[in-house]
Amino acid sequence: CLLTSIVVHAQTQLKGKVIGTDDQKPIAGATILLKGTTNSGTVTDAEGGFTLNVPANAVVVVSYIGYLTQEITVGNQTFLDVALAPTTTSLSEVVVTGYNTERKKDIIGSVSIVDMKALKSVPAGSAVQALQGQAAGVNVISSGAPGSPANIFIRGISSFGNTQPLVLIDGIQGELNDVSADDIESVQVLKDAGAAAIYGVRGSNGVLVVTTKKGKSGQPTLSYDAYYGTQIPQQGNVWNLLNSQDFARLTKIAYPNTGLFQNGLPDFMYRGRSATGVGNAGTPAVDPSRYNFDANNPANNYLIQAVNKTGTDWFHEVFKPAPITNHNLTASGGTDKSNYLVSLGYFNQQGTLLNTYLKRYSARVNTQFKVRKNIRVGENLYVFYKQNPGFDNLSTGNPIAWTYRAMPIIPVYDIRGNYGGTFAGPELGSSSNPVAVQNNTLNNKSNTWNVVGNVFAEVDFLKYFTARTSIGGFIDNQYYTNFTFTPYNNSEGNTNPNSFAESALYNSNTMWTNTLSFAKTLGQHSVKVIAGSEAIRNYGRFLTGSSSGLFSTNFDYLSLTNGTTNITNGSSAYNNTLFSLFTRLDYAYADKYLVGVTVRRDGSSRFGANKRYGVFPSVSLGWRVKGEKFMEDVTWIDDLKLRGSYGVLGSQNNVSPQNAFTLFGGTFFNAYYDISGAGRLSQGFAQTSIGNPNTGWEENIVQNIGLDATFLNNRLDLSLEYYKKSINGLLFSEPLPATAGGATPPTVNIGDIQNKGFDANLTYRGTVGTDLRYSIGANITTYQNTVVNIPGPGYFDAANTQNLGNVIRNQEGQPVSSFFGYKVMGLFKNESEVTSAPAQSGAAPGRFRYADINGDNKIDANDRTFLGSPNPAFTYGLNLGLTYRNFDFSSVLYGSQGNEIYNTVKSFTHFFSTYVGGKSNDLLNAWSPENPNSNIPKIESTGSFSSSGVSNSFYVENGSFLKLRSLVIGYTISPAQLRKIGLNKLRVYAQGANLFTLTKYTGLDPEISGLSSAFGVDYANYPGNQKNFIFGLNLSF
Amino acid sequence: CNKDYLEIGPLGTTGEATLANKAGVNGLLTGAYSLLDGWGVPNTTYYFVGVSNWIFGGVTSDDAHTGTQASALPPMESVESYNYDPSLAPFNNKWVVLYAGVQRANDVLRVLAKVNDPSLSADEAKQLKAEATFLRAVYHFEAAKMWENIPYLDENVSYSNGNFNVPNSTSAWPKIEADFKFAADNLTATKTEVGRANSWAAKAFLAKVYMFQDKYAEAKPVLEDIIANGVTAAGQKYALVNYADNFNPSKKNGPESVFAVQMSVSENFQNGNYGDALNFPMGGPATCCGAYQPSFSLVNSYKTDPNTGLPLIDTFNDSDVKNDQNIESSTPFTPHEGTLDARLDWTVGRRGIPYLDWGNHPGKAWIRVQSVAGPYSPIKTVYYQAQAATTSAFSRWTSNNYTMIRFADVLLWAAEVEVEIGSLAKAQEYVNRVRARAANPAGWVKKYINPANPLQGFTNEPAANYKVGLYTNEFTAKGKDFAREAVRFERKLELAMEGHRFFDLRRWDNGTGYMANVLNAYVKHETSIPGYDFTYMKGATFKKGKTELYPIPQAQIDLSVVNGTPTLKQNPGY
Repeated sequence: CLLTSIVVHAQTQLKGKVIGTDDQKPIAGATILLKGTTNSGTVTDAEGGFTLNVPANAVVVVSYIGYLTQEITVGNQTFLDVALAPTTTSLSEVVVTGYNTERKKDIIGSVSIVDMKALKSVPAGSAVQALQGQAAGVNVISSGAPGSPANIFIRGISSFGNTQPLVLIDGIQGELNDVSADDIESVQVLKDAGAAAIYGVRGSNGVLVVTTKKGKSGQPTLSYDAYYGTQIPQQGNVWNLLNSQDFARLTKIAYPNTGLFQNGLPDFMYRGRSATGVGNAGTPAVDPSRYNFDANNPANNYLIQAVNKTGTDWFHEVFKPAPITNHNLTASGGTDKSNYLVSLGYFNQQGTLLNTYLKRYSARVNTQFKVRKNIRVGENLYVFYKQNPGFDNLSTGNPIAWTYRAMPIIPVYDIRGNYGGTFAGPELGSSSNPVAVQNNTLNNKSNTWNVVGNVFAEVDFLKYFTARTSIGGFIDNQYYTNFTFTPYNNSEGNTNPNSFAESALYNSNTMWTNTLSFAKTLGQHSVKVIAGSEAIRNYGRFLTGSSSGLFSTNFDYLSLTNGTTNITNGSSAYNNTLFSLFTRLDYAYADKYLVGVTVRRDGSSRFGANKRYGVFPSVSLGWRVKGEKFMEDVTWIDDLKLRGSYGVLGSQNNVSPQNAFTLFGGTFFNAYYDISGAGRLSQGFAQTSIGNPNTGWEENIVQNIGLDATFLNNRLDLSLEYYKKSINGLLFSEPLPATAGGATPPTVNIGDIQNKGFDANLTYRGTVGTDLRYSIGANITTYQNTVVNIPGPGYFDAANTQNLGNVIRNQEGQPVSSFFGYKVMGLFKNESEVTSAPAQSGAAPGRFRYADINGDNKIDANDRTFLGSPNPAFTYGLNLGLTYRNFDFSSVLYGSQGNEIYNTVKSFTHFFSTYVGGKSNDLLNAWSPENPNSNIPKIESTGSFSSSGVSNSFYVENGSFLKLRSLVIGYTISPAQLRKIGLNKLRVYAQGANLFTLTKYTGLDPEISGLSSAFGVDYANYPGNQKNFIFGLNLSF
Repeated sequence: CNKDYLEIGPLGTTGEATLANKAGVNGLLTGAYSLLDGWGVPNTTYYFVGVSNWIFGGVTSDDAHTGTQASALPPMESVESYNYDPSLAPFNNKWVVLYAGVQRANDVLRVLAKVNDPSLSADEAKQLKAEATFLRAVYHFEAAKMWENIPYLDENVSYSNGNFNVPNSTSAWPKIEADFKFAADNLTATKTEVGRANSWAAKAFLAKVYMFQDKYAEAKPVLEDIIANGVTAAGQKYALVNYADNFNPSKKNGPESVFAVQMSVSENFQNGNYGDALNFPMGGPATCCGAYQPSFSLVNSYKTDPNTGLPLIDTFNDSDVKNDQNIESSTPFTPHEGTLDARLDWTVGRRGIPYLDWGNHPGKAWIRVQSVAGPYSPIKTVYYQAQAATTSAFSRWTSNNYTMIRFADVLLWAAEVEVEIGSLAKAQEYVNRVRARAANPAGWVKKYINPANPLQGFTNEPAANYKVGLYTNEFTAKGKDFAREAVRFERKLELAMEGHRFFDLRRWDNGTGYMANVLNAYVKHETSIPGYDFTYMKGATFKKGKTELYPIPQAQIDLSVVNGTPTLKQNPGY
């Protein structure tokens, strides 16, 4: 103690100021450390200033995230002016990876570090959508529906089930979808086994390591970030549909006997209990006095609607400009003993589709305390509440589909203001009025509470050891109401009673992680070891009930008790656990030769006793070439590292916790029976699932080689990787013939899917003069996906559509989700072409001529072939950033090349032989004897194998695209002016999102999500490329 | 960490051990019954799998067309036009459901063998075993009707035994016969619950199995026994009831019901008649979906000779019954004035005739797209307006039973047997027994007291010009060939729209081309009606020697591959 005080007395006071070379503005929160210490230092205040007592001949290290660290010999200076140069790849930047942190330059696994600035520039309710195009090797496919989850594939699809990566938010499994981008400090993507194997069975789809912001020591800061904007739906005739006049004309070609258009476009249409028809004004049947609407007894309805003679633009009846709002308030600060961060968020995105929205209220509290010199405790807590009614996106029965499936002649409202529809008139088909459908979702509510977080403690002991324990998890609570109105205006179900369903569920995840780490450097040798255990439990319950025939449709009246018939209830539960031991050893010699070894042993309750445990090893090697003598003279290379890894990851994602058990059950639907014949159901049982105790882990074997380099005085960073991923023992639902019974087959280990490809990342930073600085970041991801082996017949079909049957076949030798059907050579021009062509069912002039793939001179099921796949050859992202004095400018481009789309919309809009409804303007150019060279099939009411009846290449389109995801122009008010009004920072910006999408695709949006075994099929999906115009500000004081 | 941490049993489900007792096996047996309606196996489409076989017995025969609108039921175009492709979903759905039923019945037998429950008496165990065996035979039999060459699975075939790939190269008929015989020998004659199979139901199925193999000599004594002594599960002597009562959900399980699939909507609509949920008019009662449309030829079959009241067996299709094709509901229309068999208006809804108690059928207003669907609606699966609250749910699910065998069926088989190996006079007697009921004006459709309010009831005035006569001595006078045709025609009239016609034609064919002749003539008639654009049947041809059997589902052949070779063999011609 005496000694310490002597040292103190020997100190002198050093003051200084830290600014950034990029904007010449003060850097708040930069760390000033005495070299060789970890805790003798300070942090700059809001104006970049600092005061520090330093010993004589001190050397200080000045660092700030995103800037190059500087070492400064103090000498006899008492005031330091420090100008930090920014860098995107600060090599000594510390990065959070598996249960640990690493210096970026030491990473030998495959880790993508996401550019947070670019990520935050995309307006989105979740960080997932913003992640798109920001990390090589990561493909994100998102939908425009507010709050709808996006598909994330890291290095291609490696299973037919869940492909979502493990998302760890401060070490706790979470949903990136629900995290506000404002709260995120950093995102790392662990892509190969070297990086992810320490997560063993949890890491098969890759890992996203997300760290949220923490308070920094220094003066408390309060910052406020907000934006407000408008989303604009696509304009014009988006489906290219016929107007009413043309629709009537073409309908008469298809149906010469049509009652609807026998005399051209009528004025009115009507239907009552036993009468329907059309009539012009003055016809008794459409006299308004006959109109009758009886809400309680719709069977008595007599509805009359006026024909919309120009054509109802159904799309724009339900898609309207909609606002998007985001507010985030953060208070943070701390001392060298403790720090805190509290943030409050509010996000409200109204969907452009009526009655779709996401509202989220969130709060985050992160704190850390240094209770002793060697003991740290802390917690991370995130709570949110959201309201986000679901939207059935991948369906031809959703309201977006009704916008092309409803006829143009049907009005939105009938003559008395009730909904128009297919009821009131003859031959109107069975479509729904999308305005009615969406307005009638008003009683469908979804409320979710979620609490996620952890508490942790760390102890340093015996000089080289640190022990850490963390207990955390999440609990969510979801509550839904769903009310179905009597669709009185539909041709189908117009007398159905209304019905109400109410359901609640909760999910919980608890996770206890303990690690012990050791780090020691001895001369040229540096060793780091971490060992740990982890216990995870997932438990949840679900409860639901429904009833129908409610007297009132007012939301305040709705309760299950008030239903009169069809009363049902049900509940379910799940429980599963995982217990794991893991260790990792990192060894480096002279900072040049790097070795990492990990082993993880997982035990899972999902598997039977004989297959319960799995061991997942990996090894990675790195060589920092730049560290070698012969590189010393190569001055244009700042750093160069080669690395490679091999390892095994596991997966238990696609197996039910009950897979090992043969189970029986019974519900009204599948086993109850009125054996008494008197309307009293008897309980019955039936086998519901077949168990297989021999099912075990799926193993992903991942090989990776990579190169990281920095050139041109740290201006150019390059990272290049090649990988190969194959699956051993793919978890796959066993294909069983019906003779095994009707129970759900077990999941077994058969099959293999392989992915290989390149990831590349390139960043360049430059300046022009002193005022203009710019950066260009580019990344590209390629993958080649092949189904190597699946059981049964070697294929399975997916994406069942009502008009065309299954349109996807997952087959050995093909990429997953490949489109399958007949290849269209063109249309038969005339009878003689039909006669000379191979025999084809339904062949006729004006119909499709299919390719005789097997050359047997007849067209049958053996001539079906692969028509393309939604897997892109590559996807790419391009971030441009530019600052000029107080102005900043950035843009994010994202593109996908070589993917195809299966456009099922055309099966509705291009044929009169499919569902009655809106039809395409393309049919104006349909084949006819007078127009024999058209590529649009003949107008006819008969469907056939040679027209609308089967899957064929008519529906497959090029889905490549390039989107301008974001364009931002910002202006930062100069600090001098701000100081006068007590502010620290104020930036205002204007932004346009999705200003263009370059594509040849004819549908709404070429970016189409779906299941991993069936994606890229367009059923009328919620477009994600609507233009947004936004104004925002960032403020702190 | 405690080892128990990873030992987690399934939640909210039942294991075999829980069911290995009296109540559990009874529950499994109920589960095996519950699949009789076809509905209850995941990933099957309800309208393909219904026990009524409206598709496989009705639409593919000369009873009916599929109506609906273009493409609403896509594979139906191919099914209706005999373009059967083994990959079409309806075939696979039906197969999947029937074999799930077989294995449910086998589950009863498997678990029963493990029961050690003193409260289960030997007699009770015998009934459980016999009922399960009966159900196993019913499911196999339904499959044999469709495909003929089917695998037969006893209780030793299971996933855990690894022997579930069973070939279809050996005839299943002897095994089906043996199961029904076992059931007939062991089941009691009456049951406390009328939905259960009794010994007479088993005998009737045994007779039906004989009929499918043309084993007339074996069938004869069984049929005579049933006619003389048979009783329902409730103990009522078999008899013909008022014709319409067979299709009235409030009069189900009467003396004519030999074995029926029980439908119920009182607790949950899912136990209603799911398979027929599309088979209502569009715009009238139930408002959906017009999928099952009686044909012109069927309606023509009900024309009778104005003098004798006998059917026009050879000339019925020479002219069409007057109909309202292409006539708006608002345009006046007078229904057919010639003589008709009264059963027509309990089988087919047509313009101007009372449609149960829903009002006079308004014609086009109740037809989805009349230009392709034709002018007629089905009736037999429809419920009554006055009973809607108790016999229907969500408009389209009803408690109408599907009667797999009714007593009229038995009488007409007996007539067939007499034609082939017995007395033509006796055959005529059986046929007349069925016709006498049809001829009784008490059972005819009557006009409404007030057509504007059909719930006020009916007058005594017949709704149309009905005339049904009995055969006098035609069977003996005109000989065996005439008699055979007369019996067959009677089956068509009596059982139309009940899903039997296609299978009856198949039974009668035996390589003679009879079925192809009947159905190709039917296609020709239906596609040549002026103003009727029957798109689904254009170019349809029934191929003799192929189309009589449905194709074995390709998916099942693919899944039956063992060591590179499929265990199942496709039917000829596919």
